Amino acid sequence: MTMTTETSERSDTSTTLRDNAEVAEALGRRYEAGFVTDIETDSLPPGLSEDIIRQLSALKQEPEWMTEWRLKAYRHWLTMPTPDWAKLNLSPIDYQAISYYAAPKQGPKSLDEVDPKLLETYEKLGVPLHERAKLAGVAVDAVFDSVSVGTTFRKELAEAGVIFCSMSEAIREHGDLVQKYLGSVVPTGDNYFAALNSAVFSDGSFVFIPKGVRCPMELSTYFRINAINTGQFERTLIVAEEGAYVSYLEGCTAPMRDENQLHAAVVELVALEKAQIKYSTVQNWYPGDENGVGGIYNFVTKRGDCRGDDSKISWTQVETGSAITWKYPSCVLRGDRSVGEFYSVALTHHHQQADTGTKMIHIGKGTKSKIVSKGISAGRSSNSYRGLVKVEKGAEGARNYTQCDSLLIGKKCGAHTFPYMEVKNPTAIVEHEATTSKISDDQLFYCRSRGIGEEDAVSMIVDGFCKQVFRELPMEFAVEAKKLLEVSLEGAVG
Amino acid sequence: MSEPQRMPFVESLLEAAAQARLPGSNIGWLDAARRENLEAFAAAGLPDTRMEAWKYTALRALGQRRFAPGDAQASSRDVDAAALALPGVDGPALVFVNGVFRADLSRLETLPAGLNLRPLSQALQGDAEPLRFALSRHYREGGDVFARLNAALAGDGVVLQVAAGVKIAQPVQLVFVGAPAEGDLAWHVRHVIELGEGAELAVVEHHLATAAHQHLGTQVMDIVLRKGAQLRHVTLQDAAEGSTLVRHNSVQLDAQAQAMLYVLELGGSLVRHDLHATLAGDQSRLDTRGVFVLQGRQHIDTQMAIRHQALNTASESVWRGVADGRSRGVIRGAIVVAQGADGSDASLSSKNLLLSGQAEIDTKPELEIYADEVKAAHGATVGQLDERSLFYLRSRGIPLTEARSMLTAAFCRAVFDSLPDENLREHLYQQLMAHLPSA
Repeated sequence: MTMTTETSERSDTSTTLRDNAEVAEALGRRYEAGFVTDIETDSLPPGLSEDIIRQLSALKQEPEWMTEWRLKAYRHWLTMPTPDWAKLNLSPIDYQAISYYAAPKQGPKSLDEVDPKLLETYEKLGVPLHERAKLAGVAVDAVFDSVSVGTTFRKELAEAGVIFCSMSEAIREHGDLVQKYLGSVVPTGDNYFAALNSAVFSDGSFVFIPKGVRCPMELSTYFRINAINTGQFERTLIVAEEGAYVSYLEGCTAPMRDENQLHAAVVELVALEKAQIKYSTVQNWYPGDENGVGGIYNFVTKRGDCRGDDSKISWTQVETGSAITWKYPSCVLRGDRSVGEFYSVALTHHHQQADTGTKMIHIGKGTKSKIVSKGISAGRSSNSYRGLVKVEKGAEGARNYTQCDSLLIGKKCGAHTFPYMEVKNPTAIVEHEATTSKISDDQLFYCRSRGIGEEDAVSMIVDGFCKQVFRELPMEFAVEAKKLLEVSLEGAVG
Repeated sequence: MSEPQRMPFVESLLEAAAQARLPGSNIGWLDAARRENLEAFAAAGLPDTRMEAWKYTALRALGQRRFAPGDAQASSRDVDAAALALPGVDGPALVFVNGVFRADLSRLETLPAGLNLRPLSQALQGDAEPLRFALSRHYREGGDVFARLNAALAGDGVVLQVAAGVKIAQPVQLVFVGAPAEGDLAWHVRHVIELGEGAELAVVEHHLATAAHQHLGTQVMDIVLRKGAQLRHVTLQDAAEGSTLVRHNSVQLDAQAQAMLYVLELGGSLVRHDLHATLAGDQSRLDTRGVFVLQGRQHIDTQMAIRHQALNTASESVWRGVADGRSRGVIRGAIVVAQGADGSDASLSSKNLLLSGQAEIDTKPELEIYADEVKAAHGATVGQLDERSLFYLRSRGIPLTEARSMLTAAFCRAVFDSLPDENLREHLYQQLMAHLPSA
């Protein structure tokens, strides 16, 4: 297992992209055969130990506190049992077989070497030609479009006072901020995979929106598409100060071929008073083939902390990829009148397994949360919603509404719902509704009798089923998400 | 089997097992089943809240208590037969006091033809083979700790069989009385109920106490409904304040069989009710209706698992809970639709009222669906009385407390509307009203 040639949005450079020249240089270096020597200097042997973590930290030129922080997480991780409560069937992971820091693996030299199936998918998704190459991991010459976009928007952000950089850079240059907030939402020992991530995370994104600033654009690592890839363990931290607003997009719209097995990310959001954070994800990692061979294990801890009064955190996710997804974007509604939202579409096909949902922890007075989850299972897949709505004693007047719908396509798949509701305040109102059904024959018949082909009819119906969630996505994302569902559902009917 | 640190609870029950002289102890398979379950209980002890099935019910305090092994004086305890009567229920009756069968209080004289009703202790003296399947079960799930205990220690219970095609008009009454004794004791009853093809029966299960006590009662009930059989089962649980009661009920429905289960949970201090229903035959149907009303420090945990595994089966569950004081109500309702169980129609509704800042409701409706020709839905809410309804009543001159209790009663009442026995239904309503806060 080498490196995640992950879709570039999450990726990052260890070199700072100051200007085009540097970028060109960085890319050039990667393009040339110098790549091989990179591996020698930049990668660590497989295995996990305190020494490896020290080396990793040293390679990344991290300050001492960061090294200690990682080691603390590692020591805690050693004492933790592997979680087994999720409705997932997976073989044990050999953590000693993984290399925790590695340079990117060498991609195919040209598009001709790329799996034609993959190219076909790009075609359907409407990914522009030059981006297809990048997404497929072809080491092409730098595409300056996105780089220049990258640099210009960095300038604009800097003027607004927004910090948007890689986590490595943030640790080096904004150490105080990182130290203050890192691990404050997801502590190092929070859960098995979060502990592992804390010990070995390779990179990620850091966003800081100062007081009163409305981030002038939607942030996405999409523009930093050429950057050197981060790896399996990325760490994202977004802090919105008082009254700030940011919308952050994560994920990719095209599947990556990758032998990578484990992906354990941590995302932390902090919203101070009246701040709002909107976090959208389209996840389309390699799901394995039709027979369930290969694919990513996607074990992600995402949590937002509405620390200030009147703050709001909104998660929107479209999950179509990964062999196994284990992910519960959550909101801790600490501030009075804070709001948490979770909109999710999770689609599984073939042998994919997803156990995903959210947690809404109501602590402050007048807190509100809304959960809309749409699960679609096809093939032999298993799709579970698992959610917790917890109302603590002091959460006077808390309100939650949860809606979970599952759609089954085929006879061999499973769709499950495991909602937990724990209410300790008598003024709270918590509501949960769930339904499971298949695409009704009537609906299909209606479409077909109007000359719409079966696959198109199914995708229309699925699109309608998911509308409530897609509506929450930024427009380009919504269009792509819709196409993605179509592609993912291919061959599910008939 | 020797561990250094055993909980007093486990210790006292193992001592009880060592002393016990259980009926049927000459039957090889029964001895083996009892031994296996006891060994499992001894090895695993009580689960903690890390176990999913016991997530919301901590047994730590129970683990520190000791219970005497059964009541030697049970047959002479003073029980007023009139107090056991339920309106409209005057058919055959089996009465147990502290887990011991009381012939003097029971009504077994004139059993209708086709009805076989007797205490387990007597049944084991005859041909025990028909009971073998039910009684030789080994509870392997760690969460079934009390079923294990019961399987190891139950000396009595109810054996109830209805012959094929027989329709029993009068409901059969099963009464479990807790009576104060010299100390806290543990009793265990084991029931086997089978309705033959096309048979019909109504059962009224009644748990009550003569006075306050802190006993532990465990019950395991296996119900099998053969093709086309129909069962109506009403449970009125009004056990002693302070007592611990654990019921583990399994229902298997063959083709076209129907079961209507009504449960009203009012009493007890720590109460756990596990219901495992399997819709094993095509077109079988299960309805469950339940209400719990909690006050003080009561803790009631209901765990339902309804499994659809045949074609065109249906289940509908409607549950209401009210928690006041420092009580805690837990309700889990899992619907499982197995692969190939096409045409399943399953629904579950769990609505709960939280009336106090110290009370807690934990609800977990689950769906596990492996078939696609399915309609499955569940809904759960936790909230309080509707302000507008309260306002409506108050604006018509009804005082707040009265308006509250009217609305709370209305919230629960509808659950039992489908119960056909009018007298019994009225009695349940009254019991319900009497337990509602500020009524």
